[in-house]
Amino acid sequence: MLTRELNELLTQTGPGTPTGQLYRRYWLPALLAEELPEDDCAPVRVKLLSERLIAFRDSHGRYGLMDEFCAHRGASLWFGRNEDGGLRCAYHGWKYDVTGQCVEVPSEPDNGSFCSNVKLRAYPLVKIGDILWTYMGEPEHQPPQPEFEFVHVPSDQTYTSKRWQESNWLQALEGGIDSSHVSWLHSGALHNDPLFKGAKGNQYNLKDFKPYFEVADAPGGLFVGARRNAEEGHYYWRITPWVMPAFTVVPPRGDHPVHGHFWVPIDDENCWVYTFDYHPVRALTPEERQAMMDGFGVHSENIPGTYRPVQNKDNDYLMDRATQRSGENFSGVRGIAIQDASLQESMGPIVDRTKERLVPADSGIIKARQKLRRAVVALRDNGTPPPGTEPEHQRVRSAAVVLPQHESFLESCRDAVSVRPGVRQSSI
Amino acid sequence: MRPILLNSCARAATATEARFRIDAPIAPSRGARVFALDAGAEAVVADVAALAWATARFFARSGGGVRPLRGGELVPVDVTAELEGADVAVLVATSPEGAAAAALIGGICRERGIMTAGLVLDGGFDALDAVAMLRPYARVLLLTADEDDIAAILTALRA
Repeated sequence: MLTRELNELLTQTGPGTPTGQLYRRYWLPALLAEELPEDDCAPVRVKLLSERLIAFRDSHGRYGLMDEFCAHRGASLWFGRNEDGGLRCAYHGWKYDVTGQCVEVPSEPDNGSFCSNVKLRAYPLVKIGDILWTYMGEPEHQPPQPEFEFVHVPSDQTYTSKRWQESNWLQALEGGIDSSHVSWLHSGALHNDPLFKGAKGNQYNLKDFKPYFEVADAPGGLFVGARRNAEEGHYYWRITPWVMPAFTVVPPRGDHPVHGHFWVPIDDENCWVYTFDYHPVRALTPEERQAMMDGFGVHSENIPGTYRPVQNKDNDYLMDRATQRSGENFSGVRGIAIQDASLQESMGPIVDRTKERLVPADSGIIKARQKLRRAVVALRDNGTPPPGTEPEHQRVRSAAVVLPQHESFLESCRDAVSVRPGVRQSSI
Repeated sequence: MRPILLNSCARAATATEARFRIDAPIAPSRGARVFALDAGAEAVVADVAALAWATARFFARSGGGVRPLRGGELVPVDVTAELEGADVAVLVATSPEGAAAAALIGGICRERGIMTAGLVLDGGFDALDAVAMLRPYARVLLLTADEDDIAAILTALRA
């Protein structure tokens, strides 16, 4: 349960809001690189943290992300011409470079000095891995660029998709921290999904539906350990890192690729879910890559030409009561991503947390909210930089291991939950 | 039959439709019992106990049993009786010295199906030993350096 004030504090991310200021201290995924595939390609409208922006790639391969609307009369630059090193408004021909600087006002006879005084708000946009990342805060607070492992392995070892989720970012993130739903909502996937099935660890999941949880502070966020009974005298541990504000890695299964998410607020009632799969030491197989593109694992099958899932709230997520009854999957909704989305969106665009009935198994969520609140308030009141911006905070892995019962996952898995280039993930 | 009204399909997940959700009062938890298992934990839990709570009751380890941290006589009480009607027990520790009390409380909770949570306040090397001590008894264990987490969890549980 949260008070109404705290719920509003943590869910509002627009300009000037405390959590919006927090988000503006991080590099965030703004687009997939595939959305700007070549120089001078069509610009893309982007809405992030309740700001309407336009992204483009100029004639020299430079990426730009700036105010969507021309400084002149407020027309959308989406209609503009991307040409000769800048984006030109279709209305009167005003042209902007990737920094938002106006470089031409062709409708006026002598525009040099006028141009130099016209600049749209713009943010840096850099390609790292398959993602174009932006930083929307003050330049003097810009942190080092992202160090998450999935964007730094060779390109044949990683795949990223994205989907639109019609809910506030926080309830989507909380689903990533809430390990206790996995044994129920996603139970069918352990049998059927090509990106999950066959791992020895699945048997522990399927034999023990009442996991115990341990939650521990990490410099950049949390580690959440879920333990289940394994062989005599041993526990099976699944360890999920959360890096603030909204990055999680799902514990791996066998030699399957490792997957995770980054949730980015579009506005207070919508978010982007960036979903990745990568393998630290080998290329993804063609079959694995195809399965990801087809929406298996934690990815979604999207309507062609869009990032909206085929299964969405307009069609009740193609809910199938027959598969629900047969036990093929628990909820009747196909696919892990949409199983999550269907329930998180059903809560409403911003869930009313004053009405919750939480239980001790929700302690990971409770702790994450507490860390977010502390970071938001410390930044607002004292200017304290939030956790999760430092490269070492981001060099974390998930892990799935079997340990003797007396061992602490925190002590035994220090190496396993750290990025070690060239070393395979710890997985069973 | 295909749904024809907005509220009979998933599109009803809007802020406007949320106005029609039933708005009944929510009862507090039937009873949270909070146990400080060592002196370090007691110092922190005593401060939390001084806040306003709906039904939570607070105790400190006392010999082989427990005593209340506020209200009434500060003398040992019967743990079994104190857990009567509880729906959650929160065990707080900074070291493994409360192992016997944890075993006693944890055993009763297991018998009665009372939910359990353990909080280990991370003040030094003893913390991991405290985690190991609580592991058999707490469905959820939180290792934290933030003393405010106790109040945050109790608030979230409507204690």
